[in-house]
Amino acid sequence: MTFLSLPFVVLFTCCLILFYSVKSNYQKIVLLLGSCVFVGYFNIAYLIIAALISAITFYWGRWIGAQKGENKRKRVFVGGILFLVLFLVSFKYINFIGENIAVLLGWFGIDWKGAITSVFFPLGISFYTFQALGYLIDVYWEEEEPERSLPDFMLYMLFFMKFLSGPIERAFDMLPQLKLEKRFDYDTVTYGLKLVLIGLMKKVIIADRLGPHLDTIFASVHDASGAQLLIAGLLYPIELYADFSGYTDMAIGGAMMFGYKLSPNFNRPFVAKTITDFWRRWHMSLSFWVRDYLYQPIAASKRYWGQWGIIYALVVTFIILGIWHGAGWNYVIYGLIQGLVISYEMLTVAYRNKVENRVGKSVFGVYSILRTYLLFAFSLLFFRISSLPEVGYMIRNLSFHVNSSFKELRLGMSDHECIVAGIAVVMLFVYEYFMSKKDLIKELGQCRKVVRWSIYYLFVILVFLFGQFGSEDFIYLQF
Amino acid sequence: MEIDDILKELDTIFREILKNDTITLGRETTAKDVDGWDSLTNMRLITAIEKYYDIRFGLREILKFKNVGDLCASIQAKKK
Repeated sequence: MTFLSLPFVVLFTCCLILFYSVKSNYQKIVLLLGSCVFVGYFNIAYLIIAALISAITFYWGRWIGAQKGENKRKRVFVGGILFLVLFLVSFKYINFIGENIAVLLGWFGIDWKGAITSVFFPLGISFYTFQALGYLIDVYWEEEEPERSLPDFMLYMLFFMKFLSGPIERAFDMLPQLKLEKRFDYDTVTYGLKLVLIGLMKKVIIADRLGPHLDTIFASVHDASGAQLLIAGLLYPIELYADFSGYTDMAIGGAMMFGYKLSPNFNRPFVAKTITDFWRRWHMSLSFWVRDYLYQPIAASKRYWGQWGIIYALVVTFIILGIWHGAGWNYVIYGLIQGLVISYEMLTVAYRNKVENRVGKSVFGVYSILRTYLLFAFSLLFFRISSLPEVGYMIRNLSFHVNSSFKELRLGMSDHECIVAGIAVVMLFVYEYFMSKKDLIKELGQCRKVVRWSIYYLFVILVFLFGQFGSEDFIYLQF
Repeated sequence: MEIDDILKELDTIFREILKNDTITLGRETTAKDVDGWDSLTNMRLITAIEKYYDIRFGLREILKFKNVGDLCASIQAKKK
């Protein structure tokens, strides 16, 4: 049951009608039940595991809060963190660890078949485990009082609009919202609905149009020409962005229809002039999480190492960010690239400023945006292709060479599809540019009725006319 | 040691580390208000401050600083 499936639309609509029909005391029960149905619909075991982890985290937070001495608090806190990390490792990384132990033992002549295997992979595990870890850390750091209401905490962990792929919410942002009564507010509900429509357009017009063609190239890199590999590598960041930011818009918009504000996840990442800046704009709820709970503590503890302490903290943090996405050396390398590039950027600030002054701000700005995009696109090859030899092959064969004709560059898309995708991407960037200046959705709500409704109908027609339906999956569901 | 005196000394440290002579800090100043003060330069500022005052901040203390006022209060308490 993903956002684009009929069962979800039915569940969402029923929840929304019930939510605003029942007394305020029962509103959260409606959402909690809706969330349980949503998670349990995939597999009842996913629901049992997520609910257990949520309840354990709730009581563990209270246990930390109840400790008097610092040593005792620390012991209970470390126990909680270890429990959650072991939980995540046992479901997500155990096969990877088993395979690597087998390889290591093989070097010493020991034949070990890697008997450790995980039974299955609960959906949303990386997102809700990080949320639980952040909560326990906040309680331990006394940034957050231990939550008193179990139903509120369960809803904070399981809320169906963010359960599968985030945003990773902080307790201090979301829990206070859950304490408030929600009344139907036409402007907020319709704003949320418009955001859902924008997200839907990103997903079905751009991501799902590019997706199948890029999947074909990435699935058989040996059959593609150098130019096709190059085009696929250059387009993948756009597909991923349209898919994930489309999902996020739907999540934020859907939550807003219930009166809840979720954290933003993207802020025009492709205008970033450095990879450092890029990570302040891309998957922000994850990058700010690792900044606050991993990078800052590591950098603070290694601050007497000078620059090396910061580089160490960056590399460790980004490797963990990489491996958060999945159990594989490709994700380690993906994270390592980010950490090394950010370290390089930190060490060369003065040099880059000097070059900028020499060549001019605008020329250097354009160069920096292109350089950042290309670096990210390069790193994403490790994110997209799990086999390292295949990534190596792709990198070695990136070129302008075509096997037969330049028509190959369309990656199997028809002229019509290329034009639709191209215009949609340009429109997306134009929309985001103006959205950064003023809130277009709010402005639209203030237009005359005839203009407003003409635009709504136009958008709906665009979705049905140019949208690619059939795929319900989102790329980040696998994490 | 008065907070205003600490603020003046911090101005000098911040200007030197962030290479920006226009920085003037107040108690309510946060990283968002100062160009170049981000998670990458924060630890360099912290170590420079520790060195200047010959003090040492605790790990949780560093992570809990919300603004320059918190930083000044901590320096003041350690220099008493």
